[in-house]
This record gives sequence, structure tokens and C-alpha cells, in this order.
Amino acid sequence: MASVAHPVREGIRGPNIASADVQLPAVRDYEQVDRDIIATLGFTKKWFLGLSVAVLAMLIGASSWIYQIYWGLGQAGYEPPVMWGNYIITFVFWVGIGHAGTLISAILYLFRAGFRTSIYRAAEAMTVFAVMTAGLFPIIHIGRPWKFFWLIPYPNWRLLWPNFKSPLVWDVFAISTYLTISTTFLFIGLIPDIAVLRDKETNPMRKRILSILSLGWRNSDREWRHFAKAYLFLAAFSTPLVLSVHSVVSFDFAMALTPGWHASIFPPYFVAGAIFSGFAMVWTIAIPMRKWFKLEHYITLNHLDATAKVVLFTSLVVGSAYLIEFFIAWYSSVRAEQEFFWNRVFGQWWWAAWTLLLCNMAMPMSLWSQKLRRNPTWLFILSLFINLGMWFERFVIVVPSLSHEFEPWQWGHYTVSWVDMSFLVGSFGWFFMWFLLFVKQLPVMAIAELKEIVAPRMKHGHGHGHDHHHAGGHE
Amino acid sequence: MRGVTGAFHELDTTVAAIEDLKKKRLGDVTVYSPTIRHELDHAIDAPVSVVRRFTLVGGLLGVSFGYWIAIWSSNYWPLVVGGKAFASWIPYTIIGFEVMVLVGALSTVAGMFINSRIPRLTTTTGYDARFSGGYFGIFIACDAAKADQAEALLRQHGAAEVRREA
Amino acid sequence: MTTEAGTGVKRREFLKILGATGATTAVVGCSSEKVGKLIPYVTSPDNTVPGVSQYYATSCRECAAACGVLAEVRDGRPIKLEGNPEHPLNRGAICATGLAGIQGLYNPDRYRSPMVREGNALKPTTWDKAYELLAQKLGEVKSKGQAGNVVFVNQHETGTFPGFLDQWLKEQGMPAHLSVDSTAPIATIAANQKAYGTAWPALNFSAAKLVVSFGADFLDGWGHSVPQQLDWADARSKLDVAPRLIYIGARRSLTGLNADQWIAAKAGSEMAICAALAGTGSAAAAAEAANVPVATIEALVKAVADAGNGIMALCGVTGNDAVECGVMVAEINKKGGAVGTTINTAKAHGSYTGLASYADLAAAVKNMDAGTVPLAFVRGANPAHTMPKSAGFAAAFAKVAFKVSFSSMPDETAQMADLVLPDNHWLESWGDAVGENGQISLQQPTLDPVFDTRSTSDVLIDLAKKDQALAAKYNVADFRTWYISKFPGGASGFATALTKASVAGAPLVATTTRTLAATATPVAEGAGDFFVQVYPSPTLGDGAGANKPWLQELPDPVTKIAWQSWIEVHPSTAKKLGIKEGAHLTIETAAGKVTAPAYIYMGVRADTVGIALGQGHTAYGRFAQNIGVNAYDLVSHGWDSAGGLAIGSVKGKVTVSADSSPLVTTEGSARQHGRGIAQAMTLAALLGQEAEDEHGHHNIPGLPSQDFRTGLKAPIAADAQGEYANPLAKDKGMYDAGHSSKMESRRWAMTIDLARCTGCSACVTACYSENNIPTVGAPYQGRALSPVTWDERPGANIIKGREMAWLRIERYYEGNENTENEFSPDFETRFVAMMCQHCGNAPCEPVCPVYATYHSPDGLNVQVYNRCVGTRYCSNNCPYKVRYFNWFGYGEPERRQYAWPEPMHWGLNPDVTVRGKGVMEKCSFCVQRIREAEHRARAEDRDLNPDEFTVACAQACASRAIIFGDAADENWTVSKLAYDRRAYHVFEELNAYTAVVYLKKVNYPAPAAPATA
Repeated sequence: MASVAHPVREGIRGPNIASADVQLPAVRDYEQVDRDIIATLGFTKKWFLGLSVAVLAMLIGASSWIYQIYWGLGQAGYEPPVMWGNYIITFVFWVGIGHAGTLISAILYLFRAGFRTSIYRAAEAMTVFAVMTAGLFPIIHIGRPWKFFWLIPYPNWRLLWPNFKSPLVWDVFAISTYLTISTTFLFIGLIPDIAVLRDKETNPMRKRILSILSLGWRNSDREWRHFAKAYLFLAAFSTPLVLSVHSVVSFDFAMALTPGWHASIFPPYFVAGAIFSGFAMVWTIAIPMRKWFKLEHYITLNHLDATAKVVLFTSLVVGSAYLIEFFIAWYSSVRAEQEFFWNRVFGQWWWAAWTLLLCNMAMPMSLWSQKLRRNPTWLFILSLFINLGMWFERFVIVVPSLSHEFEPWQWGHYTVSWVDMSFLVGSFGWFFMWFLLFVKQLPVMAIAELKEIVAPRMKHGHGHGHDHHHAGGHE
Repeated sequence: MRGVTGAFHELDTTVAAIEDLKKKRLGDVTVYSPTIRHELDHAIDAPVSVVRRFTLVGGLLGVSFGYWIAIWSSNYWPLVVGGKAFASWIPYTIIGFEVMVLVGALSTVAGMFINSRIPRLTTTTGYDARFSGGYFGIFIACDAAKADQAEALLRQHGAAEVRREA
Repeated sequence: MTTEAGTGVKRREFLKILGATGATTAVVGCSSEKVGKLIPYVTSPDNTVPGVSQYYATSCRECAAACGVLAEVRDGRPIKLEGNPEHPLNRGAICATGLAGIQGLYNPDRYRSPMVREGNALKPTTWDKAYELLAQKLGEVKSKGQAGNVVFVNQHETGTFPGFLDQWLKEQGMPAHLSVDSTAPIATIAANQKAYGTAWPALNFSAAKLVVSFGADFLDGWGHSVPQQLDWADARSKLDVAPRLIYIGARRSLTGLNADQWIAAKAGSEMAICAALAGTGSAAAAAEAANVPVATIEALVKAVADAGNGIMALCGVTGNDAVECGVMVAEINKKGGAVGTTINTAKAHGSYTGLASYADLAAAVKNMDAGTVPLAFVRGANPAHTMPKSAGFAAAFAKVAFKVSFSSMPDETAQMADLVLPDNHWLESWGDAVGENGQISLQQPTLDPVFDTRSTSDVLIDLAKKDQALAAKYNVADFRTWYISKFPGGASGFATALTKASVAGAPLVATTTRTLAATATPVAEGAGDFFVQVYPSPTLGDGAGANKPWLQELPDPVTKIAWQSWIEVHPSTAKKLGIKEGAHLTIETAAGKVTAPAYIYMGVRADTVGIALGQGHTAYGRFAQNIGVNAYDLVSHGWDSAGGLAIGSVKGKVTVSADSSPLVTTEGSARQHGRGIAQAMTLAALLGQEAEDEHGHHNIPGLPSQDFRTGLKAPIAADAQGEYANPLAKDKGMYDAGHSSKMESRRWAMTIDLARCTGCSACVTACYSENNIPTVGAPYQGRALSPVTWDERPGANIIKGREMAWLRIERYYEGNENTENEFSPDFETRFVAMMCQHCGNAPCEPVCPVYATYHSPDGLNVQVYNRCVGTRYCSNNCPYKVRYFNWFGYGEPERRQYAWPEPMHWGLNPDVTVRGKGVMEKCSFCVQRIREAEHRARAEDRDLNPDEFTVACAQACASRAIIFGDAADENWTVSKLAYDRRAYHVFEELNAYTAVVYLKKVNYPAPAAPATA
């Protein structure tokens, strides 16, 4: 498999070190796949503990939302002219994370990147839940959340329609489309696997539910044929969608006059940043998961290595975008722009700017070393720093720009309040609540697809089970 | 529906059986496999899925609706913002695109459902739980007369188990 | 002036009805007891149409000047005060203090009934009981023959009442009352009387070539701000031949910031400078004393000489030798022959007739302390707050056997009283006031008393009736009947006079005249290395305004600080002593000490600290209490030879404490960073002798300048982004030139002349009043610091930049970049009014997802509150940062942030929505006034007349700096001014095509620039 890295030294073989042609050396047959994956579904004490922590955090966020709606947005830390703050920052943060899943499942699928197979299900689920989290924040952020539906074009007796020229309406379309499509994508991929669970299930009640969820999938050749085609087109749609969604999010800033926002580089820069943060979050989730669920021989070091390369690349893209912004500010000779960018790194928010430069530009450079690329512990630590850095990237885009605009008389400050913080905590609670519920109900790996890259039984000699132009491909 | 089901444990034997059955024309053959194998596809050699038509139509409907709702509502309720055109075509491309993806993708899924006859909650003749696990299955829809022949053929190709469906 | 002419038509209309309505207002008004919920009239009182305003001409009693005002009354409740365009004094203008009269009327903390002391507390009582008690006390006092020792202290006012009061006191055998005013420039008045033979000659700025102000803040409180500001601005608008202003003093006040040159003379050195000017002293000596370069003094002497009879020297010095200094300053005018030209003694102002001095009051306090005063009355005045602690008023007043207060607010003095007979607010009572000598303007009620209060004049009559000896004399229903009976021409004469803003005449009873003279009791300069400059706040005065949230919220025009006390230190001093902004400083003088956060201000001498009066109330209601410190505590109990409190030239120690608190300021950066917001041109440039400076048409280097007038040609400016008239749009609705509304033919616009603007900020308060803008700085309006604790600092919301002022005055400094290293008096200040610019291509509009803000066909940038969901994107995209968000439910009575506690909401303008929580708001160009005028025109089947109406800020502006109108119609003044050569747009390079055109300030060379420099 071209897209899977060669091992450190030829000749080394082990359960979680693949070679160019054998992706999952430690997986022998279809039954093993079923066994291993279904084994991850059993409830455990640790899991309940984790879930209760997540739910608690979620409740903290929920209660402070009630508090904020009752009193007004003044309870958040806003200090005009900083009219956007933690909520928009966190919104962009989660949307960004929501990009890895579809990227892995769709774009890498079209690129025939074999290493996607064992991580895409988890990543896709992560995407759906991240977007579900992100989607809350614009509503939390607005002054009259109960009027949120006014942004949606629906026929109404007042004959009022939204303003389709507004980037925020573009957001509504982009985000809602993205949520719908990535959820559909996730579910379609799940159908055959739910069928597997159904057929292995003994408890009649669960069996009934599972057979409803599986829509009566029977693995027949007709089903597989249409499934493959549909999956291909979904991937073909999702690919530009992924790119469009974060571009649209970046328009929220790029379309404004605000110094530090008004830049045409934003769409590519945001998309790269999104993929960057998304992969980091995949690590944050997949690395502990492969350990706790004993899936090291499914998510092999080669897979991590391959993702590390993507992270390194996107880090370079994002890094150069940062530098280009400064260049353009200087080159534009627009005084407001120049003063803003000077203020960004040496002004009141210098620490935020340097945090993001350290986490997003400097630290990922460690990935030039293959040793570190294949060191799960380091990747996990790095992923936490990247998540932090990406949150601060959005902070640096939103807050300093607004606090240092055209009108010096209105230059201001910003400090988050306890309400802001509880929403941040709540968002993680909400996200992990869903994810934890997911991993114990449904397979975190695509059983059917894994079987594609596992050698099938042959009567006469070794079949060509994993030859290049097929594995990972559905058609 | 009457017929014969054979469960195979190996891929190559399954393929051989399918090819043989197609020559014999004993009846419609349905192949069950835990995953997609191109060998089976070759053996079955079915026409290209029509799902792509649903995709095309859905996409076109979506993009036109997206543009239409944006342009119509802007002209229907003319309000000037920022000195821009009532209906600003360029930004509306975003609306057009997103709605295209939405409708296109959903109609693709609809296409898949319709064509592969799901959701279906009744049990299917000839299906066996093993077919989602490690076994490949072949079901030949035929009357009792042809059944013996089919059964023999399946056994000859080394089916792990053969079952009469009545 | 255009605004007056424009509003004239409308005004005459209602002025006609006033005579009739005057009598019926009492019926129309409604008081809190009667009103449960709003119910329309079944049979409405005469001349009232629900929803249509009536305007009552009356006189403002917020200060002694007594400007003519029009009270806009809607359905029986005054909702706004406007200057009376026909009044010779203020000619339609009004100041912030006057505008805030409404909040005095509807103040929630007013006494709601008479109060009587029971133990330590004042308990409500009835008027009958109160009368009984007081009558009995009067009886005792008279029977004991102590009537001669009774003291009656009244807040100084002109008109008939003081005379009426003296008469009443005389009949009771009591001495004439003390008419006190702690902010009146007593020394100056005395000096004027000595030098010109009149208390307050009119200052004719138009005739002046050079104005030299010795600490005379004629634009912020000294004398009569509004008329002075009107004349000053008109004179300055002559541009090249405008009078120049030199300000001499240790602190640069608002007037100082408007000066062309500041001579930072050491406090107390004015005499020496006068001597130099008079030729009796040497320039060197003056320079030595004032600690300024000799060259400057020499240049000053020359400049004054050159000015000839165009010189106007004004003295506002307060100190031991204030009177002498005032006389010497007057000598400068005499020497130049300016008396008769710039100093118009023929047209003197009568507002200080009968004024008692601080020394007179001090004498009374002495008697109280001696325990010889059996009975004391206090009305309006609040000596407990406005006298230095060292005067010992509180202790002395406590010794008075029976203390009666007529105050309608629970102020410090009233809280000590044994009996409170709350007076009506001036908008609830009858009376008259003297403006210019020989002119009186009448005062009529605009509604029934809001609470169970009675006007003191009526109370005096009622009390007299209870006394057999006097009953016969006072055989009248009330003061009004008495007044009409005495009025020349009786009822009919009175009725006609009521419809006039001001009529020739005199008070019906003359008040006891006093000569302001006393044996000076000099104040010891005291120890300490800093001069302490204590000055009355331009917004709160001596503290009388502190109970009005509008005035608390209005940033001080100089420091831009609200809801707080502060101590001004020079940057170089701050650097030397390591003082950071907001660090707590303690000033200690011989008299006492106060602690307040530091404000670093380059407008004070390095050896001087400044602190404003007005705050530090221990009573006086929720808006005043426990905010800041009372600077009177620093002042020693001593007076000049006129008996005026000697505030000036006090020395004190300054100590820095470790703790600090944020300043409640609306200021972001005080420097423009070359953004070209407040632009100016030099006189030379104006005269075409030199090219425009870098603040000319290229605001931001590297960007080409646009032809900004495009924005004024059409309501919607079509630019590179495309033509709004999309060919595909069959129906352009109201945007069609042919549309019946004809809206598309208009472009509402505004010009703001920076050469006229003095930064007084009256427009800001006018905007608050007209547009129901919530005040957000009250201590209880803050946010939660944790689920249980609240931020209860005064101005907590303003510290977070959440003030709601649709219109703000920005104060930018130019020059003096090195000020923290060395003191230099040479810096320039530019005031620029910033409100929604109503851009032709508004950046805020396209980003709104729900069309809550869009562009109206007549060029307004409209904000639809009901449609707003509060994404706040519009504000992010507004380069001018003039959009304001409702962070809390300021309009929800059940929220702690509620801005109009009962009955303050009576003063809300029913034409304007009170914005809900979570929506964006901004300047609407007073759209309600635009539509009202349009509807009136349509009803009369005519087009709008040019300058027919104007917006609230322009209407109030005493500088006439703001002009509003239709720029698309060349008959409106605004469309002429918009094409002035000084015209520019802020951030022109952003292509927003704004509707607000600024006219550049003109910078004059320093009039007394040293020849060498």
C-alpha cells in the first residue's frame, strides 16, 4: 500500500508494524475482526466514570446557559468593541475539529489512502459530535437565542426572509449541510456493521433494535453494488463540502473590514488549520482508544505515522499563512493593518500570539523525526498542545482584531468571565458524552471495510486479497 | 420463495461456484458476502448502479433551488444593504453550492435505498447470519426440480453447508 | 441660526396655545398616586391630543442663569426639555444640566410626602400634621422673641420668590434669607461691581480679538455657560478673524482645552501677571512668580497691547486675593478701552442679584454653633455637602433647636432636619426668573406634582393663613393667584406674558440686595509639595447634579471619566513618583484628606494635582450615594474680601498607595495614530498661504482619497461593488425614484463643525433624553462576578466599555509626545462628536443575517430592533464603532440593571422604543423626528420646508456645531455646509460614503508665542 510508510528498518515485523503490502499483519481472518471489534462494546467501570464526568461538565454548561439567557449576555466577558469572544472562538475551534473525520473518510477515500480504513469510523463519529457541539455556539452567542430560527429561510406569514448576502446565513447553510451530510455518511457506513452486530446478537430485544437500525441489510450483491456507488458519490460530495465549510466560516472574518480579518488568505488558511486541529483531535481520541480497546494491531504505528505526516504538512501550511499575514500587513502599507499586526505579537495579547506560534508552528516540527512520528505517547502529548494552540489561534484572530480597530478612541480589552469558562467546559462535556455513548453502542472501526484489507480464506493457495488497486476501495 | 442456499468458507470456491451457476442458468443467483470483494464483482458481472442518476438529478435540483430561493427572496423583498445589488449573484453561489450538496447527497442515499430495496424488515429467504461474519453465501431461486441440480453443484464446489429453502 | 428659523414655524404654533393651556396643565398632569396603569382619556382635557406633544414655555432653574426652556409634554407628562429658541439668553440651546432637569423631576429618591423626625429617622407624615407642628414651633420662637435669630438658607435664585420670601420672613420678624450658591464666582462678581458697577456684564466675544482667561472657565460653569458658549462659538466661526484665547492657570479646564495657548502659570501667580500687563510689575517678576518663560510673559504683554479695545480679560481666580486680582484683570480691559466693546455693561445679567456670600453663610453657621439659632430653614441648598468640613456646618446645624428643610431630595442637610416639607420640582411650580436685567421669564408647571409635595411659596402662604396676624394679608388660594393678582395687566397680562419666552419687567417683589464684602479670612497656603486645584465639575457642579444618572453617566468633558472621583497628575510627576493610572492617591491638606484613583493628565502643571467637586455624597439618593469623594474636604474654611470661599492656591501632600482601581472612562486611546478622525487645518492653510497638513485628504498613507461627496448625492452610493438597481429587479419598491413616497429623492445628512465644537457634551445628554438611552453605570447595574456575587463598583459596566451613548464626544490630543519626561503646555485638543455615520455603503448592513439593519430609501441606516437577533456582526464591521448592544435587560423593571426605576420611566419618549435585552442599537438620526415632520407636512399637504426641524443633538448644541438636514436638497443649510472647503469624512478611504460631514478645526498660532520661538 503506497500510502502506508515503510517500517523503520526492513525485516522488522510485529503485530502493530505493517509493511508496504500487509496493513494488518496481526489480523488473520474475518472472524477475528468480528471478535476483536465486538469485544470493544462491553460496558466497563472506567467507561461509566468517564461518562458521568462528561455529563457533569455538560450540565455545568447547560446551567450557565439558563443563567445567561435569564440575565443577558452581559454575564459573559464581552467588552465592546470586542463584540465576539469565547463563544465564537470555541465555535470555530469545534468546527475545525469537525473537519478531520470527513477529510479522512471522504478525501482520503478518493485518494485511495489505505491507512484511513482503521481510523475513519472514529474520526467520522468525532466529526459529527464536534459539529453538534460547534452548532450550539452561534446560538449561545447571539443576544436573543430564542429567535435563532430567523436565520433560516422558512415560509412565514410575515414574508420575511434572511439576508443571503450575510456570511452568517452562509454559515447556517454550510454548517447545517455539513452536519446532515456527515451524519448520513457516518450512518451509511455503519449499516453493514450494524448488520454484523445484529447477526451476532443473542438478546432478542437488542437484536430487534439492531435489525431496525440495520434497515434489514443482508450483504447481498445488489446491496453492495448500490452501496459502493452511493458511498463513492457521498465521498465525492463531502470532499468539496469539507473545503467549503471552513472557507465559509473563514468568510465570517474575511468579509469584514476589521484589520486582521480582512484577508483573502483566510479560506485556505482556515481549511488547513481545521485539518490540522482535526487530526490532532483524532490522536487525542484514537491513541488512548487503541490502547484501552486493545486495537494496537488495527491502528498500527504506520497509521499514526501517516497521520503524523498530514499534521506536519498542515502545520507548515498554517505556519506560512501566519507569516504571510504579517508580510501582507507590511506590504499593504495600510496603517491600521500594520499597527494591528504589530499589536498582535507585541501588544497586550502577545502571550496568546506566541502560544499559538509555539504550539502550531514550532512543536509540530518534531514530526520530521520518524522516531517521534511512531511514538504514540509523544503524538498524544503533541495533540493536546495543538488543540490548545488552535484554540488560541482563533482567540488571536477574534479578540485582538476587535480590540484594536480603526477607531483608537474605542480600543478596548477583553477578559473571559466564569460564564464563558463554564461554556468551554460544557462543550467538552457535551462532546465526550456523545462520543462515549457512541463507542459502547456501535463499532468504532468499520468491520466490513476492515475485512477488505484482511486476506480472505482460500482453498487453493494464497489469493490476491490485498493487491494494490483494490484494497480500501469499494468498487 | 423456494430455492437453495449454499454457505462457502473460501472466496475462490465461491467465485468458481458463481461462474458455474451462471453457465447452468438454474435461476437467479444472489451472492451474500461479509464485505466487498472484487473477485465476486467480476464473477457476478452486474450492470453499473443507477444510483449516479439520482445523484445527478438531485444535485441539479439542489443548485437551482439554492440560487432561486436566494434571488427570488431578495427581489421579492427588495432591501438595499451596503449599496449592493438586491440579488447579488456571486455570494449566492455559496447558497447554491451548499444546497446542491445537501439535496444531491440525500437523493444519492435515497437512490441507494430504493435500488437495494432497503429498509426492509422482513427476513429474507436464503440469508444466513454467517454471511455477515466469515462466510460467503449463494442463493439460487429455483423450483424443486432444479433444486437437486443446484444443490449438487454447490456441494461439488465445496460448500460448507447447503440448505433447501421452502 | 438655521435651527431656530427652521423650528420657528412649529414653535409659534404651540406657543399660541400656551396661554390657554397654562391654566389647564394642572388638570392634565397626573401624579403617582392616581396612576395605576395607562388608560386613555375618556374625555381628554382641553388642547390635549393623545400622542401629540405640547410644549410649555418655562424657565430652567438648574442654575442661576435661568435659561428659557420648552418642556415637551406628552399626555400630561413632561418627557424632554428643549431650549426656547425665542429666549434672548439661550436662543434655543440648552446644557446637559438643564436637560437633566427631567431626571430631577422623576427622581425615584425624592421625598414622596412631608417627613418628620421620630428618633433618628425621618418618618412620612401628612401636610396638616406638618403645618401644625411648624406653626406651633413658629409660635414658640416668636413668643420667646427669638425670631430675629432664625436662619433661612435658600439655594440662590432670581425672580419674585426671594423677595416674596423676605417679605414673609419680615412679617414673621425674621431676618432676610441667605441666598447661597456655592458655585457662583463671588470674587469675580464683587470685582465686576467694583470695576464696572454691575455684577455680570455681557461678554461680547464677537467684538474681541484676544480673550485672556485667568482661570475663568466661561465654557464650563463660570458665569452662564450657555449664552457664553453661544457667543463664543459664533465668534470663533468667523475663522480667520475669530477671537484668540489664552488660558492662564495651573490646570487646563474645558475652556483651557479650547484655548489657542495655555500659559501654565503657578496657582496664585495671577496677580504678578496682571501687574506685568498693567505695567506696574516687570515681566521678569511675573515669569518668576508664574514659573513660565519670561519670553512668554513679554509676548503676552505685547499681544494684549496689540489687541487694543479687542481685549477681553476674564478672571475666575479663587483665592485669598481673588477680588483684588479680579479688579486688576478688569483694569486690563479698561486700559485697552474694551469696556463698551467686549465688556458690555449696558447689557448686564441680573442673575446674581441678592446673592449672599460664603462669609454670610459662615456667620450664620457660627450663630448656629453658638446655639443661639432656635429655628433654621434650608431650601434647595445643601451646605452639609457644599461647605468644607472645617466649616463645621454639620455640628453647628445639629445644635439648632428645630431644623426645617424644603428640599425635595434626601440630601445630606435634609437628612439632618427635624421636619421636611418637600418642595415641588421647578417643572411643577409657578414662578419667574430674571435673565438679562429688565427681562423676566415666567415659570409654569408642566404637570401635577409627581409626589405629595408642595411648592414652598404655597407653604409659606398656608402657614401665614394659620397665623391670625397675617391671615388677612395672605387671603389668596395660592402663590399663583397671588402672583397673577400682582402681575402687570392682571390675568390677561399674565396670560399673554406666559406665551412669551421672556418679557420686559422686574420681579414683583424686590429681594434684599446685598453687597458682597467681608473682612477677608485668608486661608493658610499650608504645607506640601503640590498645589491642589479643586474645581467644580462641569457636569455635576458642586454635587447638585450627582443624583441624576444622565449627568453621572456623562463623561467629564476633559478627563472622560464618569461615576467616579479622580485625581489629576501630570505624566512627568506620575513617572517620577511611579504612579500608574488608577493607582490610589491620597491628597492631604491642612483641611483634610481624600483618596481617589489617579488620572494621568498632561493638562495640569507638574507641581499641581487637580480634583473635581461633585461626588462623595453620603446621602442624596441611589445615584449619588457612596460614589467618589467630596473634594470640599480638602478646602479650608476661609474667604476673600468679598466673602467668597478661597478654594485656590492650597498646598497639600500626595501619597501613593499600592492598591488601585480601574478608571471609569470611555476613553480608549487619546491619540489618533494618524487615522485622521479629528482633522484640523492651520490658519495659514485656511488663508491658502500653505498646503494642507498631513491630516488633509490623505488620512492613511498609501491609500488614495475618494470623492466623498458621492455619499451625499444619493441615498445609496453606488460604487465599485455594483449598482443596487439590479436590472433583474423589476420592482425596486421605495428605492424607485418614481415611488410615491419620494423618499429616494432625499439624503438625510449632518455636518459637524469642529471649529465650533467646544466639547461641552450637552448633545450627548440631549440624545439620552430624546432616544431613551439607558444609563448603565449605577452601582447596582453591574454583572455577576460569580454565581452569587455582583460587581458593585460604580460604573462597572462602563469599565467594560458597555456605555450606550449613541453619540459620544471623543477628545484627542495632538503634540506633546514626550510629556512623561518633561512638562510642556503646548498641546492641542480636538473634540469630535461621533455617532452613526449613516454610510451610503454601510459595512454593517450586508453582514446582518436577518436584515435587522438596512438602508432606507432616504439614506438612513435603519436599525430594526424587533428583527435583531443580536449577532453583533454589524458592530464588528463598523469602522466607527458607533453601535451599542443591550448586554442586560436595561428596560426590564424586574432586572437589577433596570435603567428607569419608577417613576423615572415617566420621562421616556413614547416615540422611541425602549430596546430589549440582546439587541443592537445606534443613532437613528432621530428618525422619529424626521417622520413626525414628514407626517406634519403631508397633513398640511406641502413639502418639507428647508431646516423645518432638526435632531436632538443639533437642537441642544450651544455651539451650533451640529447641523442636520437633507443634503440632496440644496435649500437646506446642511447641503451648503457639506461642500465647505473644510469638509471631510472620517475614514474616507474605506469608501463607506458617510452622511456625516466634518468641518476641520482651525488651529491658530499661539497668540502670545515668544518672539524667539
